[in-house]
Amino acid sequence: MSYALSTLWYDRQRYLPGVLAVGFSALLIALQCGLLLGLFSITSIPVDHTTADIWLGAPEVLSVDLGRPIREASLARLASQPEIERVEIYLQGFSYWSKPDGGTELCMVIGSRLDENALGKVKELSKDLYLQLSEPGTIVIDESDLGRLGVKGVGDHAEVAGNRVRIVGLTTGLKSLAGPYVFCSINTARPLLRVFPDQITYVLGKCFNPKDAATVVSRLKENQNVSAFTSPEFSLRSRMHWLLKTKAGIALGYAAALGLLVGAVVTSQTLYSATAASLREFAVLRAMGIPRWRMQFMVMQQSLFVGIIGVGLALPAVHGLAAVADYFGGRVELPIWLQSIAAIVTLTMALFSGLFALRSLRNVEPAALLR
Amino acid sequence: MSTSPNLKSNIKLRSGVSVTSITGKGLFKSFGEGEMQTTAVNDVSIDIKQGEVALMMGPSGSGKTTLLAILSGLLKPDSGKVTALGQDIWTMSEREREHFRLKHCSFIFQGYNLFSSLTARQQLEIVAQWGDGASSREARKKADEILDVLGLLKKAHLRPGELSGGEKQRVAIGRALIKNPDFCFADEPTSALDWAHGEQVIDILRSAAHERGCTVLIVAHDARVIPYADKIFYLEDGKMIDDGGKSIHKTYGKMP
Ligand SMILES: Nc1ncnc2c1ncn2[C@@H]1O[C@H](COP(=O)(O)OP(=O)(O)OP(=O)(O)O)[C@@H](O)[C@H]1O
Ligand SMILES: [Mg+2]
Repeated sequence: MSYALSTLWYDRQRYLPGVLAVGFSALLIALQCGLLLGLFSITSIPVDHTTADIWLGAPEVLSVDLGRPIREASLARLASQPEIERVEIYLQGFSYWSKPDGGTELCMVIGSRLDENALGKVKELSKDLYLQLSEPGTIVIDESDLGRLGVKGVGDHAEVAGNRVRIVGLTTGLKSLAGPYVFCSINTARPLLRVFPDQITYVLGKCFNPKDAATVVSRLKENQNVSAFTSPEFSLRSRMHWLLKTKAGIALGYAAALGLLVGAVVTSQTLYSATAASLREFAVLRAMGIPRWRMQFMVMQQSLFVGIIGVGLALPAVHGLAAVADYFGGRVELPIWLQSIAAIVTLTMALFSGLFALRSLRNVEPAALLR
Repeated sequence: MSTSPNLKSNIKLRSGVSVTSITGKGLFKSFGEGEMQTTAVNDVSIDIKQGEVALMMGPSGSGKTTLLAILSGLLKPDSGKVTALGQDIWTMSEREREHFRLKHCSFIFQGYNLFSSLTARQQLEIVAQWGDGASSREARKKADEILDVLGLLKKAHLRPGELSGGEKQRVAIGRALIKNPDFCFADEPTSALDWAHGEQVIDILRSAAHERGCTVLIVAHDARVIPYADKIFYLEDGKMIDDGGKSIHKTYGKMP
């Protein structure tokens, strides 16, 4: 171990390109995945900006915005769990927005309870906004969607699925991806989503102790007629669904593969030339009968250290760049699992580079010392 | 078999009994094909006893390095037999021969061949750890013992870039001796050093031979090495010349 490290430290200038290449690969993977996750976090806003611990919906729901109607009676199933403090109903689905001056737009209607502690109410709905929504036929949209929906602001009228609605307020910071969010009460939402009076989309639940959510969910999962998720699960599921569905994952895969390839080439070349520079020294050891695997093992140790140092440098840099992106309005999400995957993938790459660099040891021949 | 001139007959071999340590019989080695063929070693036989310092001399290109490589198990002869410690080393498999070298052979080559990134101590430790599987603690202890004998303990933490040529060559000797070998093959270990340092190097190898019973074969050009040898071989055009030392006198002048 110490010889690999000593050499690495003493010859650090020689190993630097390899370290940087590994670091760059890790950075590229983590940052790109983080950016996409951030982008697709828009799809999980209804989960992330509300306070429910558990979401219960139709079987095999793929994403929060793809919920299908379920019977309101499902409420009882969640409510009967001993860990559950309270439950409430929630509606969400796509509908059609008819602009006042013609033309239609896809929109995402969200109907939730509207009291202070409501589980399905996004936190951006302030008290005077949600109080106004109790009037039937009123809605709140995000200010960023005004242009897209063809309206000028509060007081404007439009039609959703043939029902006349009036805008009573605006939120900020709730950008949308597929269709602008339309927030309203449960009673307003039913006609907009064209569901029967006893139909809802989700049952939301709050546990006495949020830590029990996973237990409740796993118990509910035994039932085939519903699907249940903790809110972090459902949030991730929604994002991953859109990430894969939109094939953004493929673009990501390409970029990551290219980054890894470049990283692998530079790293293995670095290790190769570093080893080749000591061929005569290794040859003396070979002449003295020291087995080749000792030297191969040392090269592999070096590749591991190059990998660890590279990843170690990359992670703080990723966080720094994420902060910069945040400052400019982009969104980079860096959950621990993403950082771990980026680290493991690049470490594996470094080890493969090491394997590839082993071929330099093939040239180690004691006969070379005779000239 | 060549009985070479023992120019320093006053040397007493330890314990008085001389055991044959390595023998070469009828060794041939040529390089190249047809017109371009050179016979580097031409029907050479050689016999060295345990604990002896054998010196091999001869003009450039006479086959000294080639012969050393054949005797030490690094270069296969075209024909002939090498017996070391009673074992025919050229009928062994590659693996067995490597293992034989691991257990018994050490080398000092021209040019120090030290890892530029490792300290003097580490150069020795690496052989103990990788060769004998010694723990890092044992390796350090052994390395420091040897470095102490070589007068290098104070420089144990220095890297080759911070050592003089003589010190580097002594580190290389330390690396060869740490495994306490039965054979030490040295190809021109002194040629890059001035005589003061060269003498030091030869002295160390001589005590390795006489005190530890290591069989030492030195290839050297410098006539000043001659008094330190127990036995001298003279090669010319790949042939061993055995004329009672005349050729040596002719080439290297009168002995000191
Ligand atoms: N690998 C090789 N390929 C071709 N010819 C070789 C090879 N090794 C040695 N020779 C030739 O064999 C002859 C003996 O070489 P060798 O290196 O043994 O001489 P030497 O006595 O050690 O010379 P020097 O004192 O210059 O080191 C030389 O003519 C050399 O050119
Ligand atoms: Mg030579």
